[in-house]
Amino acid sequence: MANLKEIKRKIGSVKNTQKTTNAMKLVSSAKLKRTEELAKRSRVYAAKLTELIEEIAQKMQQSSAEGIDNIYFKESKDVKNVDIIFITADKGLCGGFNSQTIKRANLLIAEYKKQDVKVRLRAVGRKGIDYFKFNNVELNDEIIGLSAAPDFKQAAEFISKVAESYVNGETDKIILVHNGYVNMITQEIKQDQILPVDTSKLELNSVATSELEVEPDDDDTLLDALVKRYVEYTMYYSLINSLAAEHSARMQAMDAATTNAKEMVKELTVKYNKARQESITTELIEIISGMESMK
Amino acid sequence: MELMKLEIVTPNGVIFDAEVKQVTLPGSEGEFGVLANHASLVSLLDTGVIVIEKSDSSELAVAINSGYVKVEEEKTTCIVDGAVALSGNDSELAKALEAAKELLKSTEASNAAIASAVSKVEQIGKSF
Repeated sequence: MANLKEIKRKIGSVKNTQKTTNAMKLVSSAKLKRTEELAKRSRVYAAKLTELIEEIAQKMQQSSAEGIDNIYFKESKDVKNVDIIFITADKGLCGGFNSQTIKRANLLIAEYKKQDVKVRLRAVGRKGIDYFKFNNVELNDEIIGLSAAPDFKQAAEFISKVAESYVNGETDKIILVHNGYVNMITQEIKQDQILPVDTSKLELNSVATSELEVEPDDDDTLLDALVKRYVEYTMYYSLINSLAAEHSARMQAMDAATTNAKEMVKELTVKYNKARQESITTELIEIISGMESMK
Repeated sequence: MELMKLEIVTPNGVIFDAEVKQVTLPGSEGEFGVLANHASLVSLLDTGVIVIEKSDSSELAVAINSGYVKVEEEKTTCIVDGAVALSGNDSELAKALEAAKELLKSTEASNAAIASAVSKVEQIGKSF
């Protein structure tokens, strides 16, 4: 009989787990919808900003022979220091979401170490911070809470520290690693070069815009301001993107967990019924054989 | 009067997108107005108020903290960090005015620029 009781208890506990995972799935899908909406709206801003930078950069490229002569655009030939920023979630239970980002960050670190490049790590999100702290890897900067609730001001503050060290020459390259939202069921690891601005990604060959008037009448000032804003915004947008990916990853993971729990309950119920039947049969045999012996 | 397209984009989405007659912008080198067929221009925007003359000749004011504007012949695009439209009925307007003042004061612009923008906002509040 002890076996029966045990199975029943197990069924109860699995059912409870199923309820929790199902609730988490629903919460994530609601949050995903909101984050998706946010991402959609901010995408317009990002697109317009990029368009503007493209135009100014193009104008500068046309006016000088050596290409764009701006600190934010100059690719350093001898890269000695690299800053890697990576975004993970503050919470777990979202499948391979966090481990994938960490894996990619590790890969990058190993790659740069081979080239004798000094790497500085800057972490956003508790999971990534915990991982590297546990492995005794030094983190240059860390922030918790930003990846769960992206805030433009905080994001800008965080990234401008990095941008400053780039301008000071402390670092030659800034790379951002984060999870990107593709659709409800797919996430993709993204690795973006923040600074220097990756000119290969800009479309610099559209119509000539040499007639473009610029105010204040100094392309550099304008471009500096623009790039600064661009960098801040890229960071913010990446955070939103990562959050959307986190929610979709969690939704998937919780969906799988709920399905698994359902299956397990089914299996356990069959087992329980079998055990029950067995005990009834045994009892019956006992009764019958008892009656037989009384005859 | 010829119309042109005006778009105001903030990090939280597009807040204005319509055909307008004229728009006055707080450029970093001074305020300037834009009509249709204006020469191409890119300018930094300072803390201030964008005044839009809509196609029905009514005026709309939008307080902004900072941003950029790209003027093309047919289209003007403002890319701003924060914006509050000063419109709506009395209670909404009062709220918008407060929000606008808050927004203007939170910027890093010089005190003079903020003061002039705030007084402008207050004037708009009175004229309604």
